[in-house]
Amino acid sequence: MENIEKQVREYAKKLLADGTVDVVVGYEGGTLPFQTTPCFITDPDDAKRLVWNRFCSVNLAKYVHDIIFGHKESQKRAKPEDRTKKKVGVIARGCTTRSLTIHLQEKQYDRDQVVIIGVPCAGFVANKKMSVAVDGKEVIACSVVGDSLSVQTKDGGKDVPLKEVLADNCLTCRFNNPIISDVMIGEAAPPMPDVEKEYEEVEAFEALPVDERWAYFTKEMGKCMRCYACRNTCPSCYCKVCFIEQNQPKWVGVGIDETDTQVFQFMRMFHMVGRCVDCGSCLEVCPMGVDLRKFLKKLDKDDFQLFDHRAGEAMESAPTLSVHSEDDKEAFIFEP
Amino acid sequence: MTEKANENWEPKIIAFVCNWCTYAGADLAGISRLQYPPNVRLVRLPCSGRVNPFYIVKALQEGMDGVLVSGCHPGECHYISGNLSARRKFAMLKNFLSYVGMEPDRVIFTWVSASEGEKFSQVMKGVTDKVKALGPAEKLVKKL
Repeated sequence: MENIEKQVREYAKKLLADGTVDVVVGYEGGTLPFQTTPCFITDPDDAKRLVWNRFCSVNLAKYVHDIIFGHKESQKRAKPEDRTKKKVGVIARGCTTRSLTIHLQEKQYDRDQVVIIGVPCAGFVANKKMSVAVDGKEVIACSVVGDSLSVQTKDGGKDVPLKEVLADNCLTCRFNNPIISDVMIGEAAPPMPDVEKEYEEVEAFEALPVDERWAYFTKEMGKCMRCYACRNTCPSCYCKVCFIEQNQPKWVGVGIDETDTQVFQFMRMFHMVGRCVDCGSCLEVCPMGVDLRKFLKKLDKDDFQLFDHRAGEAMESAPTLSVHSEDDKEAFIFEP
Repeated sequence: MTEKANENWEPKIIAFVCNWCTYAGADLAGISRLQYPPNVRLVRLPCSGRVNPFYIVKALQEGMDGVLVSGCHPGECHYISGNLSARRKFAMLKNFLSYVGMEPDRVIFTWVSASEGEKFSQVMKGVTDKVKALGPAEKLVKKL
């Protein structure tokens, strides 16, 4: 992993130095020992700030879209012939490249505007799972040793097996290596252990009685305080005006009514049909620990089982709701 | 709550129907003097593809006991493929709604063509019976 980090820095430096890209989006060390934060490198000498480790969590595709669109917006008043295109380099693992694929399929920007530095991924450490593993104690230092995570808290050290703290979406990840990349750094990572158990959780939930499911849904959505962090971090949520802020028509009330929260979460999740890449960013940033994945994974499962499609799996695989076929399954249609 | 105790409770159902098939089917049912329950309020839209899933969820939130969406049969859409793309949306929506715990029969999708006046009245009866069996909607309903 250190080797990959070194190569990433070198490559990012080279891209910036020869002017191939205007900015490289990557991760840098955060303020806490087990944290990384997205960073935007524009000076080749700053490339040494980049890191690549088990704590790189959020999906960087969001920032690629933000940078390109922010730039586009700033060019609105320029003469058409004077307009420039922003070129972005991005350090991308499997899920990030899937999100980039979705952006490209949805024609958000051109392929030549993004230089994808592909890195193999073996999963990231979920901060919520780690807090549980150390009983909520403050972590002073943290490092990965082989297959375990050695954590230092105020009360002493502890070794936690990595499998216990890796994010759920990583354990069942099918695409941990980049789908598309301009350059691939390091060897392809081995497949994740629980790929075949991908839908186990969803199937277990489906088997519950309807009222229990509703109780769980309302309980989870009851936690939501509508900070919209999930939307802000989601690479597939890039509308200029989100339905939450729309007021003509006003789709969702802004008060504390619980059904408004339920409708907001339900519709935001529904917008992820065929577009959720299960990168776990929303779970990672959620301050209230809402179990969004249980619901988002269902959309992924239906998408695969009904339409044989997985979000962002390949450039040729069209998004579910943008295509249709005469022979789509229609068992749900009511016939009197 | 008080409504539930009432034995004469009648469900409120909203139907989003397409202009070219189901609405004409409703017309035919009327011309043919077919009887069907008056619980359904029709909303005419250009095409079933025009139905935003939000309409359905909002209707439930605003207190409708049932939602029906009906359009042309697949392959007979006035706009060639509006109902085909709608079908994909609805398949996902129906599954997702029942997954989060909504009764599956609250939201119903069907196809009724312009010549199927008889089927239209059958659908109205069927939907009303299904929703009546479920009782008044309580999930997702905004209480003012």
